Amino acid sequence: MSCENTGTIEKDAVMLRRPKFDRSKLCVKCKLNPGNVVIRHSVFCKTCFFPLVTTKFKRGLDPYINPKSDASRRKTLKASGNLLLSFSGGLGSTVLIDLVNQCYLAPFAVTEDGKPKGGKDHPRNGRVWKKVTVCYVETSSAYSGARDRLEDVRQVVNQYQNVEFIPLRIEDAFNEDWWTQNGGRLGDSTLRVELSNEDLPLSAERSPKSQLPREALKQFLSSLPTQTAIITAIQNLVRVLLLHTAHVTESSHLLLGTSLTSLSIAHISSIAQGGGFTVREEAQEEWAPDLPIAGSSLPKTGQIQRKNIRVIRPLRDVGMKECGIWAWWRGLHIVGREMSKHGKQEIGSLTRDFIVGLEADYPSTVSTIARTCAKVESKEEPAGATICIGLHKLTIARPAQRDVQGWKSRISIRSYPFDLTDPHLPLHTKSSSIVPPLGASHSSGVPADPLATLTPHLCYLCHTTLTSRSSRGTAGNGALPQSGESVPLPAWVASRLYKGSVSSEPDQPIGEIWETTKMDEKDMKNVIAEYLIPDE
Amino acid sequence: MSKSDTVSLKVEFGGGMELLFSNQRSHKLTIPARVPLDNGTSGLPADTTDENSKPADISYLIHHLKDHLLKERLELFYENGTVRPGILVLINDTDWELEGEGSYILKDRDEIIFISTLHGG
Repeated sequence: MSCENTGTIEKDAVMLRRPKFDRSKLCVKCKLNPGNVVIRHSVFCKTCFFPLVTTKFKRGLDPYINPKSDASRRKTLKASGNLLLSFSGGLGSTVLIDLVNQCYLAPFAVTEDGKPKGGKDHPRNGRVWKKVTVCYVETSSAYSGARDRLEDVRQVVNQYQNVEFIPLRIEDAFNEDWWTQNGGRLGDSTLRVELSNEDLPLSAERSPKSQLPREALKQFLSSLPTQTAIITAIQNLVRVLLLHTAHVTESSHLLLGTSLTSLSIAHISSIAQGGGFTVREEAQEEWAPDLPIAGSSLPKTGQIQRKNIRVIRPLRDVGMKECGIWAWWRGLHIVGREMSKHGKQEIGSLTRDFIVGLEADYPSTVSTIARTCAKVESKEEPAGATICIGLHKLTIARPAQRDVQGWKSRISIRSYPFDLTDPHLPLHTKSSSIVPPLGASHSSGVPADPLATLTPHLCYLCHTTLTSRSSRGTAGNGALPQSGESVPLPAWVASRLYKGSVSSEPDQPIGEIWETTKMDEKDMKNVIAEYLIPDE
Repeated sequence: MSKSDTVSLKVEFGGGMELLFSNQRSHKLTIPARVPLDNGTSGLPADTTDENSKPADISYLIHHLKDHLLKERLELFYENGTVRPGILVLINDTDWELEGEGSYILKDRDEIIFISTLHGG
């Protein structure tokens, strides 16, 4: 008997592709109109599509507007502060600003005589946020040959009434004037870091304005070890600029235009780069800033205003396809955002290509990624005091692992060209380094020297971003940072780094920098001279 | 070529896709009604029969746009014989997934829209 069923076996081995839509071409909602769009295998007509997206958007935002989060949407919505919208010029943020305008800023329904329905005091007719600001961070300085889109963005934002516009540039991250104008405090020196050494030794530069912010940005980015690190650093600088702007504008909410697809990309990309410890925070988080607001009088210690800022992604249930269709049918103009032409091999781009390709054939799987990540929790308790002050979570108190360096040394196999028993070796060569919490004291009671190294204050992701080199060579200009060569750090790092060293004197502004320097014997004698008993 | 030998179309680009096509959002095109099976855009050979040709469909249109209208960065528009994932296609305001995607046979005065979603959040 011949093997007649070979063909059948081969046929069974091929996985059948699921049809693009279930059942008929009629809209699944109204069941009357012919469908216009397929969203995760369900067909919707144009009329039912708009309420579908609006409902998802409001479901992702309404429960988090009132200071006390409440799933019930029957209560009047009233935020405790203003609203900051992050606008990148991309599809998601363009849809976000349109939805916010339509759902929360559009003129109230009026009666025939032109008065608001239900009276002006009706809760429905009140403003949810007193002030709405749109912030755009121009990133063209970070990419060679990139087009400046600031004026295009300004035109888009100007279409919306009752919205203020704050344009920033990414180099503001290194602009001490911007930092001080926005409530930051500086010492009389700028911090620099040596990226060629895994301990990331810090040094202070006494002439803080010797370098233009744009030059400092370029030097910082070109010193990063991989293209992935450069893209991640740009994203994180933008993120921190937005957070500070939210604080300065006294906002209680910062909204980002991250769609479901973008969120899945962000999750996978972050995990691939070592950010698995903070998967949940990637979707939603809350920041309690401890900085004064610009223009206000200097706060005294203990009088810092702590108004939480909720970072929310209201489009986290709305896929990229829905955003694209929404933008087209609403006639929205997409300015576009800068995408690196040189970073095709960086983790973010590779992840985006993978997820977008996956979404074309298996859209529900992309949704599953985001929903699963929302439930992921670290088995290990976060180290309460170890708050990363690096690039990734620069100012936002996201949890960090305990003893990151110790863990890193346990999972790595390394060989060193020197004797590991030498007590003067760098920190990272020790089998398990104990990471002092930010601003903590050593057991001897002497304050930890915050100017020593940056590494103990970084999470795994930030440390990897700054130090992990690609086996295929370097990014940027192709030159590895030389030993002893240091690069500037963003303006806010110093104040965060020294936060634990803030003077307890009530009249001292926060952020005063203490620097520990070794004195020679003669100087020490001079300092205590008046207490010394003279030699007889 | 008589009028029935061609198909007139309106092609539009959105979501930033127009930047790849001379920054022009709307284009009016006339393409042949029958095209080679391999979607070649240099015209039908003289010995064309029904067997070695097909009615113009969306797949052919994608090849036509790639060869005749696209000005830069092919990789942002075209991949593996179709549009790159992340580009939405609407045929007369309806998702192409409801119309058979690339195999939809083009009709005179159809409106085809390509929307990029690749500019992210």
